[in-house]
Amino acid sequence: MKKTVDVSIPLGPVHPCWKEPVRIKCETAGERVLRTEVELGYMKKGIERIMRGRPWQEVMFLAERVCGICSVIHNMVFIEAMEEISEIAVPPRAAYLRVIVNELDRMASHILANFSYCYTIEHETLAMYLLNTRETVLDNLERLTGSRINTAYMIPGGVRFDLLPEDAAAMLADLSKVEDEMRRYTGMFETGPLIALRSKGIGVMDREEAIRAHTVGPTARASGVVCDLRLRHPTYRELGFTQVTRTEGDNFARIMVRFQEVFQSIDLIRKCIETLPDGPIRGGGLCRAGETSYAGEAPRGELTYSIKTDEYGRVVDIAIRTPSIMNIEACAHSMIRDVTSIADVTSTFISSDPCIACNER
Amino acid sequence: MTGYLYEKDLRQMKYNILTSTKHDEAVRAIARRLGMSNAKLRMVMIRRFDMSLLENLESRWQMGQQHADDDSDPVAKDLGCELFTRFVPLVDPRVMQTICNETRAMTGNESSRDEAIARGKARIREAILS
Repeated sequence: MKKTVDVSIPLGPVHPCWKEPVRIKCETAGERVLRTEVELGYMKKGIERIMRGRPWQEVMFLAERVCGICSVIHNMVFIEAMEEISEIAVPPRAAYLRVIVNELDRMASHILANFSYCYTIEHETLAMYLLNTRETVLDNLERLTGSRINTAYMIPGGVRFDLLPEDAAAMLADLSKVEDEMRRYTGMFETGPLIALRSKGIGVMDREEAIRAHTVGPTARASGVVCDLRLRHPTYRELGFTQVTRTEGDNFARIMVRFQEVFQSIDLIRKCIETLPDGPIRGGGLCRAGETSYAGEAPRGELTYSIKTDEYGRVVDIAIRTPSIMNIEACAHSMIRDVTSIADVTSTFISSDPCIACNER
Repeated sequence: MTGYLYEKDLRQMKYNILTSTKHDEAVRAIARRLGMSNAKLRMVMIRRFDMSLLENLESRWQMGQQHADDDSDPVAKDLGCELFTRFVPLVDPRVMQTICNETRAMTGNESSRDEAIARGKARIREAILS
């Protein structure tokens, strides 16, 4: 980046508002931020390289270690990609259980993202309320899968554990509690005058810019882009899924889309439990040689696994495109460009729900 | 930009991003479209783009293929006016506009269309390497 102004302000790599290390270099003219540059490389894992040459049984566990916040969807997309290569069918009950786990994970991720935003704009009370509610969601994830973070719940042809009737009842009771609490917090966020001052009209990204940078997930949906891959997923279509969209494209819209999606996830889980089909949770199948590019809707947006396997089910080549790759770039070069105050850089960056672990794989 | 004590040399990391499977395919496709060598294009990208833009290069290239330069202006489409300014920002928009206008004027004059486009592409290459 050429020096065009008198002050260059580096934010990070270690910053109180960042969950993970990243450095943003801001070129400013007075309070106005003219442009920014993102510097990565503080937590590169090289996980794609580690995956190559390993059998799917090992890669399955590595995939969910790409990101701790949305580990379930990494597991799901990898397994569904393997199923597509090997033409393995999933029993209906397992397909519904996958949706339940995936939506619990989405709720946990969205609540954490909104917690981070509230913490960044110094609304610590709401932030702590949200973090407390997230615990209930993680408890339910543990109830079904036995683990709160790296669940390894899905396997080719099904899932590892069934949902017992007493667990389903407890989950429904917890979801009602979470729904009530989230309704209260959404109201607080929606009507808070100081929150509005820090959020409305800040970090605006229009629809064209969102499409140009291939922005995905709630970040894109807050700018009016129709881009939810759940609309194409057979189980979600059965459940009558519809996408949440807003058109403002600012920080407020991005956070509100996540709040709305939490309620949508609660509805989807309820629907799944009510209409859960009977039958086995595991089918048969053998992982075979093949090549595919499979995408699923992660909490942050489109997650793509391009996989090539050999006849023993070993992963010969793999490329993972995570949603944060697109969202962080769009945030740094569209949302933050020309913001009127340096104080808005951190909040705008956090509003795009950046995941550096995903970005650096 | 001001030099910091902890400023790192990012060239090796940027090179690693550009040589991963999908990014390498995108770089080769862009170089082919521009008529440049892959190595020179990589060098320019490493110099001009930050790490997040390099990571997103493949997606931007894909979106550019789908949405950039509609059929209403064939000269702009052949030169990739929008593609190389807004989707993959290799050329300054004002420079690209000048090149595009001049190429359009040349196609209206005595030069053949192919020759004018070839000259336009050569000027784009110059602008990228400058």
